[in-house]
Amino acid sequence: MNLEGLEISILAPAFVAGMIVLMTHLPLGYEVLRREIIFIDIAVAQIAGLGVIIAYTLGWDEHGIEAQIAAVISALIGAWVLSWLEKRYGEHQEALIGTSFILAATGGILLLANNPHGGDHLKELLVGQILWVEWGQLLPAAVVSVIVLAVWLKFRERIGSAGFYTLFAIAITVSVQLVGVYLVFASLIVPALATIGCSTRSGYGMSAIVGITGYAGGLVLSALLDLPSGAVIVWTIAISALVMHITRPCKALINSRTKSK
Amino acid sequence: MLSRSASFFGFVSLLWAYAGMAQATLDVFACEPEWAALAKELGGDRLEIYSATTASQDPHHIQARPSLIAKARKADLVICTGAELEVGWLPLLLRRSGNAGIQPGQPGHFLAADYVDMLEVPDKLDRRLGDIHVSGNPHVHTDPRNILRIAGQLTKRLQALDPDHADHYQQRHRDFESAWQRAMRNWNERATGVKGARIVVHHHFWSYLIDWLDLSKVATLEPVPGVSPSSRHLAQLKQSLQQQSAVMIVDTGYMNDRPVRWLSEQAGIPIVTLPASVDFQNGESLYQWFDKLVDLLLEPVK
Repeated sequence: MNLEGLEISILAPAFVAGMIVLMTHLPLGYEVLRREIIFIDIAVAQIAGLGVIIAYTLGWDEHGIEAQIAAVISALIGAWVLSWLEKRYGEHQEALIGTSFILAATGGILLLANNPHGGDHLKELLVGQILWVEWGQLLPAAVVSVIVLAVWLKFRERIGSAGFYTLFAIAITVSVQLVGVYLVFASLIVPALATIGCSTRSGYGMSAIVGITGYAGGLVLSALLDLPSGAVIVWTIAISALVMHITRPCKALINSRTKSK
Repeated sequence: MLSRSASFFGFVSLLWAYAGMAQATLDVFACEPEWAALAKELGGDRLEIYSATTASQDPHHIQARPSLIAKARKADLVICTGAELEVGWLPLLLRRSGNAGIQPGQPGHFLAADYVDMLEVPDKLDRRLGDIHVSGNPHVHTDPRNILRIAGQLTKRLQALDPDHADHYQQRHRDFESAWQRAMRNWNERATGVKGARIVVHHHFWSYLIDWLDLSKVATLEPVPGVSPSSRHLAQLKQSLQQQSAVMIVDTGYMNDRPVRWLSEQAGIPIVTLPASVDFQNGESLYQWFDKLVDLLLEPVK
């Protein structure tokens, strides 16, 4: 046990970062499950990372605004190609996503083959670390996430596949740099999976509970056990999803409603 | 039962007394275990020392844990290697710590690489070669002569931060200096058999050790750290080793040993895996670590 890390000023920025990520990922997660494109977040994140590597090999500053632009543009291109592929070869979409992931990942290795810090850069791009988040980073991320969420909730019916892929690419590019690929995947897929079969409204509420308890519990646990926060949160999200699934509060709700009718 | 609870209270009050004592000491945050071990030699009981990494961890990357930020927050002195070794995490950690005393340029910020002659400093910066270590090879702790130089500078820093006990640090430094010089003579003598030995290295980790013991590096297995070598490089390596053989392949404890095992099998050369640093967390000292390094290097030339 280690009480030293249990300090609000250490854990608070990380928790808020988690909430910003959840804000867009909970609703988008249902869509990802519905379309059966589970690994798209990892593919898009990898493509955004590849964009930064390209920008870097062209001599741009990898931490500056240029890198952000490179990341968003390549994520958008990747997302649009994936959306076109879905239209054209819909039944093979999952396989195509997997293939684009390994192409983006190995493309990065090839571009950095002569770079003494190649491996470092690859790893840094893949796993942003939630505990290193500073308050200053959160405001732009929150603004972008609110816009993505608002557009999705309001125009979801009208924007079609291309619109979904566009919003998704932006949301992923922002969140991967805050919390890393593993937490992005966990926030997107796990709460949605746990509350599948709930009505939309109660599903959102339940998945928010899974996500929030996952982040809060994970941060506290990682402080107490002195373990890497990102990895612990992935596990606590999964555990709270499992508890949610076993207790099935919304199924009970549906059952009691049908009984009372 | 009574005696057990009595001894528990005894233990708690001991802890309490210890915490009270700790109040008066300097809190030292070391990025790597070798600097934790050096601080222990120089400061003794005056320092409360924490090492962010262990000898079996790659100090280029570490996973962020809440305790790391908490330790940096209360640290009076941060001792790191510098030379961009910790560039992936130290700036982030320092910013998140909000501790003004340990920021770059402050007395509480000590970078060991600032005080030694760096090896492998690039002549000119070439973007095509990628992001080279502009300050040179950061693994300065693998040469005991560097340890001695850094010890002198670190002592001055400890005295500046804790002026009331300047004499204490002076005395400990004098003791350390003479003991270390004796130990170096001993290592040098024992290592005579391995001097000039032809070795292959996994990557550039041991350059300072090679310089110290006059080893002759004939090849580098993985010239670009973290990126697997190309097949052409491996073929050239194999060929050059057939023409002029080497006595051992030197590997680093925390690195993946598969490329080394491959080469060892291909070329029939034994592997010597050297621990990357002091096992500080288990009470090992710098002396014991260098003893071990010399022992391990001597094995294939016996």
